[in-house]
Amino acid sequence: MLRVEHLTKVFPDGTVALKDVSFEVADGEFLAVIGLSGSGKSTLLRCINRLIDPTEGRVLWNDVDVTAAKGQELRHIRRQIGMIFQQFNLVKRSSVFTNVLSGRLGYASPWLSLVHQFTEEERQMALAALERVGIADKANNRADQLSGGQQQRVGIARALMQEPQLMLADEPVASLDPVLAHSILRYLEQLNREDGITVLCSLHFLDLVHRYATRVIGLKDGQLVFDGLPTELTAKKFKEVYGQEAEIVTVDGSGSGLMDHGE
Amino acid sequence: MSASDKKQDPTLPAHRHLPPWQAALFSLVVPGSGQFVVGRRQRGVGLLLALIILSVLILWQGATALFAAVAIIWAWNIWDAWQLAGDHAMRLEVPVLLAAFVVYGVGIAATEIRPARFISGWPSVQPYLTALTQPELMEHPTKDIVGQVPIQIPCITPLPQPSKPASQNPKVTVNTRCAKVGDTITVTGDGFFPNFNGEMIWVNPIGDEQHVLENGRPMKFTTDAHGHFQVKIAVPLAVPVTSLPKPGETQTHLIRAEQHKPYGPLQPTRTLRLVLNKIGETIALAFIATILGMIFALPVSFLAARNLMGGNAVTRAIYYTVRTILNIVRSIETLMWAIVFAVWVGLGPFDGTLALFFHTIAALGKLYSEAIENIDPGPIEALRATGANGAQVVIYAVLPQFMPAFASFTLYRWDINLRMSTVIGLVSDAGIGFLIIQWIRLNRFNAMATAILAIVLGVAILDYVSAWLRHRIIVGNPTNAGRTLRSYVVTGVLIIGFIAAFIWSWNVAEINLVTFVEGAPAGVRMIRDFMTPDMFTRPTKKEAVDAVLPVPCGSGVGTPSAVSGSRVNLSLSCGNVGDKLTVIGHDLPPNTHVSVRWVFADGSYLRVKKDCCTTDSSGHLRLETKIHPLMAVNPKAGRAKPGKVEITWKEVIGPPHLSKAFNMVVNLSLVTLLMALIATTLGSAFAIPLSFFAARNIMGESVLGRTTYATFRTIFNLWRSVEPMILALVCAAWVGVGPFAGVMALAINNVPNLGKLFSETIEDIDNGPVEALMATGANKMQTLVFAIVPQLVPRFLAFILYQWDINIRMSTVIGYVGGGGIGQQFRLWVGLNQYADAGMAVWAIVAMVWSMDYISARSREKLV
Repeated sequence: MLRVEHLTKVFPDGTVALKDVSFEVADGEFLAVIGLSGSGKSTLLRCINRLIDPTEGRVLWNDVDVTAAKGQELRHIRRQIGMIFQQFNLVKRSSVFTNVLSGRLGYASPWLSLVHQFTEEERQMALAALERVGIADKANNRADQLSGGQQQRVGIARALMQEPQLMLADEPVASLDPVLAHSILRYLEQLNREDGITVLCSLHFLDLVHRYATRVIGLKDGQLVFDGLPTELTAKKFKEVYGQEAEIVTVDGSGSGLMDHGE
Repeated sequence: MSASDKKQDPTLPAHRHLPPWQAALFSLVVPGSGQFVVGRRQRGVGLLLALIILSVLILWQGATALFAAVAIIWAWNIWDAWQLAGDHAMRLEVPVLLAAFVVYGVGIAATEIRPARFISGWPSVQPYLTALTQPELMEHPTKDIVGQVPIQIPCITPLPQPSKPASQNPKVTVNTRCAKVGDTITVTGDGFFPNFNGEMIWVNPIGDEQHVLENGRPMKFTTDAHGHFQVKIAVPLAVPVTSLPKPGETQTHLIRAEQHKPYGPLQPTRTLRLVLNKIGETIALAFIATILGMIFALPVSFLAARNLMGGNAVTRAIYYTVRTILNIVRSIETLMWAIVFAVWVGLGPFDGTLALFFHTIAALGKLYSEAIENIDPGPIEALRATGANGAQVVIYAVLPQFMPAFASFTLYRWDINLRMSTVIGLVSDAGIGFLIIQWIRLNRFNAMATAILAIVLGVAILDYVSAWLRHRIIVGNPTNAGRTLRSYVVTGVLIIGFIAAFIWSWNVAEINLVTFVEGAPAGVRMIRDFMTPDMFTRPTKKEAVDAVLPVPCGSGVGTPSAVSGSRVNLSLSCGNVGDKLTVIGHDLPPNTHVSVRWVFADGSYLRVKKDCCTTDSSGHLRLETKIHPLMAVNPKAGRAKPGKVEITWKEVIGPPHLSKAFNMVVNLSLVTLLMALIATTLGSAFAIPLSFFAARNIMGESVLGRTTYATFRTIFNLWRSVEPMILALVCAAWVGVGPFAGVMALAINNVPNLGKLFSETIEDIDNGPVEALMATGANKMQTLVFAIVPQLVPRFLAFILYQWDINIRMSTVIGYVGGGGIGQQFRLWVGLNQYADAGMAVWAIVAMVWSMDYISARSREKLV
């Protein structure tokens, strides 16, 4: 279980990214985080695994205080929490296989891994992860030879290597076209349903939120302005989160979705 | 490796299946052949070539111990063929590492790297380094007492009167009238300022002054209360070897004692004023050469732009010709041009300006032409479509695209010219480099330090200014907004300032077209000789005929005139000094250059006439002269027997073969390439760790981090402004003249240059993968290895190749100041007027620079 308590983040330049945000996520939830660009979604996700240190407040993961953890302890918490990124964050010149294996670094021997030595078990695990996302045949390609959708699947495979209990997804489909968006979210959904991995995913499109999330929170100017079920997220509530000028569009350009002007 | 190897030959027939032992046998006999027959052709040819090249390198340096490594590669190649026949590819680390080991081993031998010299040479370089902390900036005006005493070196009997007098008040005496180099002599002085110190200066017969050294440092004396002092000094070797007295002669040196008592307020030293003056000259040279180079490069660049010249065969031919000439001129370093133009217009600022100017035309011509080629035709088409006329199209569509590149390339060239201009004085009397080399010769290290520090500061400041200008031009406001009175005034002031700077620089550069035209024949002759390199020589045998000529008559027996065969007949059978004499040669080889000379009894000789003579078509020669005074028989001077008149010539006796100069050029070219390779390797090895300290993202935002970042950046920038040529002067003092000094100088200069490029690369890395890996729980080392290193390696390699390219260019000239390599020999050949040999060095340099340009451009394309 993840508990976020009174989280506040002020950047050195004075920007207030998060203001007293508190919520809980039960195990097995698929939580969508919505909000305009700059509303604090990315900062929130990064405070959870401490890629960003919050200014105030606490994050508790399975009753362990993440915000107080240091060094080895922090790394052990991090390796239980997978993360995927909007820009995939792969090492472009390394092979797909190396990128996936690097997800295991938190477990691997700290010294042997520096000379790229992994156990046979870890290699099998990486192949299995790649098979699971359907690109085992690309293992020896350079990461930048893959399409955007394939790169994001490498990102997921890398996170799978951590055997995570929680998956943070920072706008995982914002750089992808609609068909690929669905395929990526279906993988996340599968992890959520079959493996029981809790998912925290920031999203932009209303139809995606309705289709995949079990619960939604909305951020506006760093404050929590909505917390409820996707079905409770009416057009009126949307306008509250995104502002009055927001137009509702769908991921494939029709129906009822929402995209903020920033994208 | 295996994956890419397999991909290479998809078109080739499938691997022929040989039993492994057969493939191995092939490779045992001819390395690489086993690989070749199983279908891995590239690998096979590569192995064979590598083994041949390595063996040639080893034999060249005679470092036969390295054949052990070659043998291991050979063995590996057999094993590899065996494995490949079994469809099992091996990784190439072993042979690549061994090959590198051999290349570096040979390189270390060829460039004479001797780390022990760091220690043995330390005392001689220490004064250079100490001086850097004590530049001569400000001083009090002084009241001076100067006394001198002559001393003759070496001792001869009888000892003539010294050619220079001793001073009377103050009085300086020395305990001996003559001495030899290395003797210890005692010098006393009276009538100096009491209880005050002074310095000892040694003045050689030519008038060059140097400090008398004591333990490598200028010697000081202190007077007692009566103004008296006494010191012991060792007689230094104060005369260049070429000007040493002949046996039986002596030279008068002066020992000078000087006291300078300060009084009054501080004022700039003479050194500082001289340095500032020469810094001005340095800047003026760079300025005028850049501006004139820019003006001349513009029309040239149109001829070298593919898109303008692609029209028909004639223009394409012009395009290729211009490109080729630009490339040749560019690959010959500015300093080399300075030596060439010194022959043309003599040493001086004009020489330096011409060299900078010439190289600038070629470099800017190429850059401008590329900018023209990159102009997007879209806007031109669009403006044509609106009905704009030709001039309007140029002003609104062509110039706005060309100007930023034009301005930025010109500024870039200005930066380079400024740096070059600081060292051009090392080979000519132009700019601050001239002072540095003078002062080093005079052991005036503090003055030298003043000049070096002035360069560091001056270049760093002007770099900053040009970076600011570049930023203004590139980021500047593109619209014509703000045409206020103020902007007009500012523009006006800038234009007037520019014109004033131009006129001043023109005068300082001593541009003189008359000299240029007058020197043209010498210059053209040299260039013609450059074009006909002396690659082959034919073996020759020296032939001579002679006739004895007793002077005066009766002092010996003359040779009776021969009547047949090659012979020399004299009009007199004996005679007196000054008598008219006709020398007649018969049956000599026709139309051949011969030398006619007086041969004295002691074996020495003198040409009868300079640039003499050529026989006519029947092999006949006639020369009128007068009997030379040294022909007189004089037993006291060692000439107890009568001398001879001799005619000598060279007879070709065999087919042409490669000349000695050609072999030297090949040899020195290899040394030069290896110098650059080792210097680049050393420079990179130091630059890589240091660059992390100069990368803002690595050092972080803490106070310590920011301070470290700023410190390293500043040190890199200051350090970068000292050209390798200047470093080579210091390194030659440290480890001795030779390639080792050149390698050191280049490596020391590469550290800040590469460090800066590397740190900028580190700042540019994509932070995404770093974040992603931290999120998986990887530790810092793991993040470094998996997320940062893979991003850095290819870009670092690209920069290292680029630096190697620059180093090859630099190592072609670093020999001028004691850095070894081909430059040393080139300068020597030009000095001896052996232009054909010098020309061969030039072509070798062009070939080296071109091939390296090509290799590094290709490899960089692949890497990035």
